[in-house]
Amino acid sequence: MSTRMQFKRIAAFELRVLIAERTLWLTLGLLVLLIAYALNNGIVQTAQRDVSTVETAKQDQTSRERLADRVRRMMAGEYVPDDPFANPVDPSAVGGGMGAGHAILPSSPLAPLAFGQSDMQPNEYRVTTDSRVKFMQDAEIENPWNLLNGRFDLAFVMTWLLPLLVFALSYNLLSAEREQGTLRLLLSQPLNLRTLLLAKLSVRAVLLLGSAVLLPVLVISLVRLEARAPAALLDLLLWAALVVAYGCFWFALSAWVNTLARSSAFNALVLIGSWVLLVLVMPLLINLLVGLRHPAPSRIELATQTRIVTTENLERLQDRFGTEYMHVNRPDVLIPKDGKLEVPERLRAFFLHDQALDAELDTMLDRFDVQLERQQRLVDRWGFISPAITVHEGMAALAGNGAQRYVEFQRQVKAYHEKWKAWFSPRILEGRAIAPNDVAQLPRWQWHEVSTAATGLRLLQLASIAGLLLTLSLRRLRRFPTI
Amino acid sequence: MIVRIARRDLLELFRDGRFIGAGAVVLMLLITALAVGWQRQVESRTERVVAQKLDYDDWLAQPERHPHDAAHRGLHVFKPEMPLSMIDPGITPYVGSTHWLQAHRQSEVKFRPAQDATGLQRFGSFSAAWILQVLGPLLVIVLGFNAFTAEREQGTLRQLISLGVPLRRLMAGKALALGTALWTLLIPFGIVALIAVIHGTPPDQRSDAGLRLLLLALGYALYLGIFVGLVLAVSAFARSSRVALTVLLGLWIGIAILAPRAVADASRSWFPSESRRDFNARLDADLGERYQRAWNSYFGDNAGTPFGYKVPLSQWGKALQIHDQAGYETMDRHFAALWNAYARQQIAQEWFGALVPTLAIRAYSMRIAGTDFDQHRAFSVAAEHHRRRMQDLISQDLVTHADHRGEQHFSYRAGSDFWRQIPPFEFHPADANQSLSDASRSAAVLVIALICAWTLALFGTSRLSR
Repeated sequence: MSTRMQFKRIAAFELRVLIAERTLWLTLGLLVLLIAYALNNGIVQTAQRDVSTVETAKQDQTSRERLADRVRRMMAGEYVPDDPFANPVDPSAVGGGMGAGHAILPSSPLAPLAFGQSDMQPNEYRVTTDSRVKFMQDAEIENPWNLLNGRFDLAFVMTWLLPLLVFALSYNLLSAEREQGTLRLLLSQPLNLRTLLLAKLSVRAVLLLGSAVLLPVLVISLVRLEARAPAALLDLLLWAALVVAYGCFWFALSAWVNTLARSSAFNALVLIGSWVLLVLVMPLLINLLVGLRHPAPSRIELATQTRIVTTENLERLQDRFGTEYMHVNRPDVLIPKDGKLEVPERLRAFFLHDQALDAELDTMLDRFDVQLERQQRLVDRWGFISPAITVHEGMAALAGNGAQRYVEFQRQVKAYHEKWKAWFSPRILEGRAIAPNDVAQLPRWQWHEVSTAATGLRLLQLASIAGLLLTLSLRRLRRFPTI
Repeated sequence: MIVRIARRDLLELFRDGRFIGAGAVVLMLLITALAVGWQRQVESRTERVVAQKLDYDDWLAQPERHPHDAAHRGLHVFKPEMPLSMIDPGITPYVGSTHWLQAHRQSEVKFRPAQDATGLQRFGSFSAAWILQVLGPLLVIVLGFNAFTAEREQGTLRQLISLGVPLRRLMAGKALALGTALWTLLIPFGIVALIAVIHGTPPDQRSDAGLRLLLLALGYALYLGIFVGLVLAVSAFARSSRVALTVLLGLWIGIAILAPRAVADASRSWFPSESRRDFNARLDADLGERYQRAWNSYFGDNAGTPFGYKVPLSQWGKALQIHDQAGYETMDRHFAALWNAYARQQIAQEWFGALVPTLAIRAYSMRIAGTDFDQHRAFSVAAEHHRRRMQDLISQDLVTHADHRGEQHFSYRAGSDFWRQIPPFEFHPADANQSLSDASRSAAVLVIALICAWTLALFGTSRLSR
């Protein structure tokens, strides 16, 4: 009988035995339950976020229309504002808030698959002429206790729990046969131990990993329309490949432990021990080392610098800050003449002050991003030590909630902020009033998607470790004592 | 007899290497975590104290200027580092430590350390508390899963029963063995921790810190005691060591890994809290309305919008005062609603601690260490009160000195006499007694879980003779 035929026979036989046993159904049932709860969380959360961003965009649109309308009415003499802070033709008021919209990071098609950093990093910023020290340091508000406990998302199920289900199906692949004395019986047939192991592994891997990826893929492509676009489908495929590669790593580890020819209890303990090490402890230790190697600059130092720069500029702009608001005695200063407007000196001072803050703190703020990028590079390079890191980061990236997409978002927000300030700067400094057709010309936020998911590399890392382990186990089988 | 049973069990734990192997790993991790925590805490404490002092010195040294501009410059206040955060940093990585107190608006606490870390941060924070909470139970399981099953498998259980050894004493002996093994490991760690805490704490806070450490040790003793009971119970019920180990590992994963996340997500849906966007939008809308109402009620219905041309500059001091004070109640209400939602989420999770002791000990440990949300809230409130104090003094000063200048409002300059009227920010965190009373709920839950686990163990042991 050819090896292939043998393989097929054993696989078919194993399948029959597995179906007859309770373990498979318990494991699969548990897997389905966990996936269902996690997916539900992901879908609900993403839907809330999407509703929220749509609402924000709509509000931005309405407030811009209202602004355009006010400018028009003001030019027609139908409307006079009370104060310069809400004067629709005053560039300092419009740039400082009235005309401002939000920079929004849309959720990715696969967002429900992993929360990643989305519960901590904001996905919208209100960009004004204020310094970015003031608006970009904010975080999403979320109960810190929940952030600490972590969320129950699909990435959690796959990274933490899937390996345990792999163990449940495979920890006693060979040891049970030995303990029951059936291995001797099997090998008295013209049968290769290697074929036996591979067939047993394959059946279990196909059943478990197949269900682990099929269910989410089906649900996501049904529930999220965006996920049916070709690019998203490819990402979904990559996600499935990532999970399968990760699952294969644990199956390979289990196979290797079985080839040590010890008892089932020993196998279980070693597997749980390696899970504790690779999934629980390693990521924490690597996080620690990464932080020690490339420590984030001190935020307290940033606060101190902010204060120093603020003080210096208050000094420098003292005269402008000391100027009175003219509109209180002469409401007519609020109305432009020949396209010119008396921008209140104090508002001009606030603008200049914040510009100086941005300019002088720029290097310091960038240092935070640079350090974070360095940390991330280190994680990418050494993350393969723990496959859990590789797969968790990979899933977050594919879901568009990885750290790098947020860094990219902040980079684009910074660029947009610069554009916004540049548009207003000459108008505020030269006192040019906002004209009716200016409103349509205001800089608009546009997110440019940049691929930040290095899934190929991660797949390669996982697959090569899994492959290596499997090769090692197959080699070890030559010395496997059957009795 | 109990001692004799315990001695024999301990000897076996030593001989088969489980105690040395597993214990050494846990102890090494604990010491590493403590060292890292100690270093981080000492650094950040010094930095904060220095920054706080510099900030206030600069405030006093600022030249003459309009007080409202000084309020835009603001004050920075820094949250003091709690002595026991080196053992349990609690929510520290997920909350900021800095408030920028400025004119007009209550600020959020900024700069969460987790923002400056990679996604790995979400795997957890490496701390002694995490190790005890997550790996501690696993250690108990590894040491004790076969406490009864091994006797059964070796046939010694029958002998013991036939000799008339009371089953309860047998259980007590086994519990004593497990307890002794754990304390042999943890007491050295406790001593090292005590030295580190004393060394890293200013002299006037040392007795408080020592008391907290003692309370923390008691809490973890309860926590591990629950697992000792659970392990003995399962070992007594199980037919074989294999079954006992499988069941216990399953329980451990459920309790320490899976349930905390599942319950966190469930509590979010029971007591929803707002996103930043919704929170700000609601607060802005409410404040706007409130400001306008206060404006009209003081300056009359024809006073226009706040700070418009209808109120002369000679009343801007008053106007600022009215504007600021009108917002206080609204801000309090909104922040309280948000924080109460968080508190309800956490209380729900603490009650779940009876089933999931990891949740109870997490809450207890954080509260005792003073790194919990209530402490953070107290700091935020204190900072906001300080801001209001600054604001109120400033507007009063403007009313007194600037308003009578008529149209020359912004030509007014306050000097160092006025800067000195604003006191330095001081925050006194709750003392150990207060923390203990905050932690009483989770302590009670731990005791309930302990009683349940030991009742189960007693019941299991009584069935052994069957």
